[in-house]
Formats: sequence, C-alpha cells, structure tokens
Amino acid sequence: MKNELTLSFLAIEENEALARMAMTCFITPLDPTLEEISEFKTIVSEAVTNAIIHGYECDGKSLVTIHATIEDRVVKMTVTDEGMGIFDVEQAMEPMFTTKPQMERSGMGFTIMESFSDGIRVDSTLGNGTIVTFEKSFSPVTEVSRMR
Amino acid sequence: MATITQLENGIVLITLAGELDNHEANQIRAEVSTAIFTGKTRAIIWDLYRLAFMDSAGIGLILGRMRDLAPVNGETLILNPSPTMEKIFQFSGLGDAIRKCTVEEAIDEIGGVVHEK
Repeated sequence: MKNELTLSFLAIEENEALARMAMTCFITPLDPTLEEISEFKTIVSEAVTNAIIHGYECDGKSLVTIHATIEDRVVKMTVTDEGMGIFDVEQAMEPMFTTKPQMERSGMGFTIMESFSDGIRVDSTLGNGTIVTFEKSFSPVTEVSRMR
Repeated sequence: MATITQLENGIVLITLAGELDNHEANQIRAEVSTAIFTGKTRAIIWDLYRLAFMDSAGIGLILGRMRDLAPVNGETLILNPSPTMEKIFQFSGLGDAIRKCTVEEAIDEIGGVVHEK
C-alpha cells in the first residue's frame, strides 16, 4: 500500500502522546505485530520528545513536524524542528550522553531509536534545527495472523 | 499514573499504569520521590503490569530513584515489563533489575537479603 502524512504540532510536552497516537493510527493498515507497534511508538516518542525539549526547550510556540510515507511495508519518517540544533551529533548519539541530566533525561533516546528502526540519520545545524530520518520495515502478514 | 504503596521493611511498591513518557514522568516524579524520602526506604519494586507504554523517560525516572537509594545501598526490582520495555532496560544496563516473578516473590527476595545481613 501507499500513503503519506504530514503532521505539525506545538512544542509542548502534552503533544508527545498525540504524536504517538497519530503515528500508530497511520501504520495500523500494515497490520503490524504488537511488538512492532510498540517499538514504532517508542521511536516516535523519543524523536518528538527530543524536538520538543531539546530543539525548542518546550517553548510552546514553535512547531514540530512529522512527515511519513508508507510504501509497501516500509515506513519512512522524518521528525523536524527548527530549533537550536545539536552541537555534536556523534556525541549526542552515544548511549547515556545527555545535556539535560538535571531533567533526568537518560541519554538513551538515540540508542533506542537506532535499535528499534532499520536506519536512522540525523542532520542538524546549530541555530537552524534538526531533522531525524528513520526507516522501519514491517514483517509480512502471515496467513495465520490474517485468519485471526 | 503511579500508585505508591509503602510496605513493611522499608519497601515501596510503585505500580505504574498508562503511558510513561517525558510528560508523565515529570507529572509523577515529585510524588514518587516524596514517598521514597518518607520513612526509611531501602528498596523499590516497580510493577509495570498495567503500563501500556514506556520510553527512555522511564529509564530516567527509575535511574533517578536508584540514585536516591544509593546512600543506603537500596535495591531496585522491576517486574512485568513488556518485551519492548525489557529491551529498553537491557540497552540501559538495567536488565539485572528485572525479575520474572510476582510482587510477593519480589518482596520475599528483598526480605531475604535483610535476614542475611
């Protein structure tokens, strides 16, 4: 199947749940497994939370944009903010690295996004924002699960 | 949502429900911390049986409370994570805190440690 979506929302923490819910609905026609849904939701949550609290520092007036496509059983998604950008992308992607330990951020976001997706790319410019691009393939639907 | 129960022997049982993301972690952090500092907490059992979703904010919340308990060498046990949550705990080095057992068995385990001392 083929589908495409663009979703923009304010940089407030409440919208983390909105983004997860919307993106879960978007992939539902693929008939994903429970684990695929929950891994995909986690990717969305990590990327959107980063944009809201790091990119925009929860400014409540800037927009985070998700663009996603489905082609056959592959979902491609970008999460874009036009916020402060990442000083050192390589360092930001290291496990346990965080610039906000006082907020109890674990520094595991990028590790989780990498592990649960089939490919991630981070493009960031200081002062201009960050684009995180993912790809995730969904397993073929078996005849057995079709019959359920 | 967090339901916090103070058990005997300084054990705090925290049952999480709903979706634990950054927003939710910020909502419940103060409540959880207050419960830990009330009384002589020496162990926390996190029961995730009713938790539908968790991202790295859950790791931050649990690691933060482990730090709270560090001065008393407190213990942390995690029960009933979903397969996805279990992976997240493994990535974060918290795999050793997971127990495949009931709350009662977890309480027994912590109680047992006390008797050994």
